[in-house]
Amino acid sequence: MDGLLASTLVYGLVSSATLLLTALGFSLTFGLSGVANFAHGGLYLLSGFTAWMLMKAGLPFLAAAGLTVVLVGVLGALLYRVVIMPVRGIVLAEVISTFAVGVAIIEFFRWKGFTTYDYALPELVEGSVEILGVSVDWQRLLIVGIALALTLGLWAFTHWTKIGLALRGMSQDEYTALSVGIESDWAAMLSLALGSALAAVAAVVLLPLGIISINSGYDALLVALAVTVLGGLESTAGMIAGSLILGFAVTLTGNYVGPRWGEVVYLGAIVVVLTFRPSGLLGSSKQLEERV
Amino acid sequence: MRLARLALAVLPLLAAVPRAFAAEPIVLGVPTALGTIEGQDSLRSAQLAVKEINDQGGVQVGKEKRKLEIVSIDTREAEAGVPVNDALAAMEKLISEKKPAAIVVGAFRSEVLVSAMDMIAKVKIPYLCTIGMSPVFDQKIGAEYDKYKYNFRLSLSAPYLVGNMAKTMAFLKAKYGFDKVYFVHQDVAWAKGTIGGLSKVTEAAGWKVLGADAYPTGSRDFSASLAKAKATGAQVVVPLFDMPESGVIVKQARSMRVPALVSGFISPAATGTAWATFKGDIEGLVNFLFEPGAIPLPTPRSRAFTEGYGKMYGEDLKNKLSGHGPGPSYDAVYVLAKAIERAGSLDADAVVVQLEKTDMEGAVGRVVFNKTHSVPYSDDPKTGGASLAFQWRKGKRVVVFPEAIAEGQIELPAR
Repeated sequence: MDGLLASTLVYGLVSSATLLLTALGFSLTFGLSGVANFAHGGLYLLSGFTAWMLMKAGLPFLAAAGLTVVLVGVLGALLYRVVIMPVRGIVLAEVISTFAVGVAIIEFFRWKGFTTYDYALPELVEGSVEILGVSVDWQRLLIVGIALALTLGLWAFTHWTKIGLALRGMSQDEYTALSVGIESDWAAMLSLALGSALAAVAAVVLLPLGIISINSGYDALLVALAVTVLGGLESTAGMIAGSLILGFAVTLTGNYVGPRWGEVVYLGAIVVVLTFRPSGLLGSSKQLEERV
Repeated sequence: MRLARLALAVLPLLAAVPRAFAAEPIVLGVPTALGTIEGQDSLRSAQLAVKEINDQGGVQVGKEKRKLEIVSIDTREAEAGVPVNDALAAMEKLISEKKPAAIVVGAFRSEVLVSAMDMIAKVKIPYLCTIGMSPVFDQKIGAEYDKYKYNFRLSLSAPYLVGNMAKTMAFLKAKYGFDKVYFVHQDVAWAKGTIGGLSKVTEAAGWKVLGADAYPTGSRDFSASLAKAKATGAQVVVPLFDMPESGVIVKQARSMRVPALVSGFISPAATGTAWATFKGDIEGLVNFLFEPGAIPLPTPRSRAFTEGYGKMYGEDLKNKLSGHGPGPSYDAVYVLAKAIERAGSLDADAVVVQLEKTDMEGAVGRVVFNKTHSVPYSDDPKTGGASLAFQWRKGKRVVVFPEAIAEGQIELPAR
């Protein structure tokens, strides 16, 4: 196989998995509770620095990463209780308040001087392997594996477990769910906690590829928005499709046209899809509204 | 009793006398991207020079000695989404509120530097920039000297970077017979300008340029270029980045087993702490230090800066010194102080005349200005500023360029 084509296939898949993992928490929270958590990028960055600080305190990386996921999950629940619950139902207020929290977190780290090149997390697995004649490091393959496992796991959780079904019920019809005893705020708080924990998982798996930089918080939010909007806000399959389209589009463009055009294609794909399918590739909210 | 009352009334007045007659400090403005390591280090370096000068009594302005004082403002120009206008507004705020006699350090981004020159043309105060690299700076001064004569540059500029990198490339060609190169750079003005110039120079020197890819600021995946570099048989990969994410390229080149020498500028790999940050993945990387400072030249003045920085801010911060900005920022304060002393006043036009006559040994080498007010950089610290290139070897930065002060020769990666 042509080396460049093989590279496109391998790194396109890695890029797609990276996008999927970054967007998973944001998409899950919105899908289950209807809350667009714009603090997602801030929580992603916070997770990176928290894991780094825990390691500096002496914890081994796996323990630091695990504890970070738990802590950020709890923080997500608190975020709902303290910030979102008072404005629940006012969509614009939810967006503004969560966005403000995210920006505050990111800019706090900038203000405190976390801008040097010293903040890095170790890779879980070192070394590289050849696939289709293309060298790729184990950490990137791990990203593919974790993204896939989490997506399948979450699908199973929301379809086969009592809690998952309750959350889905709440997302489908809040009043009916309330009538059968599912508490709305409890469900939303749980979805925020889960989404935030997933942002932390993404951070401790993705950030070891480079160093932790302040702007990665904003990047994470943009990626999450792009993938979810493209795939469809409430669709797991759409999110996977969105990640694959964007991941391969950027890699293909980078390999055959030039990396600088990657962002153009990236944003162009979103514009094109939303022009013809306003609900995203596999979403249905807009179509339903129009039908009603 | 009356005497005591009189003394009580007079004492505060007497106490106020020294203050009333003490000369006002000379305010130097530092409007730069303080969120970046280059901006922070440059501010600290300028403050170090101010402290040293003040400890010696200050600057002789005519008949009086005046202390220096630095006021800074964060222009945030290196942050994603911050437009040039916002950075200029921050600079304008500092100038209008603090009334500095001169600006040191200045713009981080070339785009801001080029625009800031027009603001300086209006306010007419000396502007000694130490980070922005655009060649447009020289072009503007060359085209409209009277308008832009207040601007000076002590840091390495893109044209001189091209010259220095071309010399390294010539060395690699002569020594190892290399003739295939792949350029990878950040999609910003200084890097585009440098790679554009370097491509022409290297092609003219017999190199085959296999590709030149630009990456948007914030990119974290460089596999596209590395795959092409590997597939096309590049012997040298030249990266040029000043963004934190760029460290990924070294790790990725290693994991993708690209059998080429990586030789260029990656800001996160320039600091002394980079080895620990990247856990040794930068072994073999040849990285430029745009100006001496993080690693001093073997001259007393250059060593004095690096050691003084360590004493004032601690060894940890000294070890984290960036490769671009600190040395020139330290020198800028001294250059300005000497020019003010020679002018005998703070009159901007008089100071500019004296700045043009500058010829002193600084942390970066010999500080003289060319006709377009930039310090020339080459491989000889006796003729101007000198850039260094070092190679990461087992946790140590071994200077490999210029040859005159090299501690060792470039070691090639296993192929």
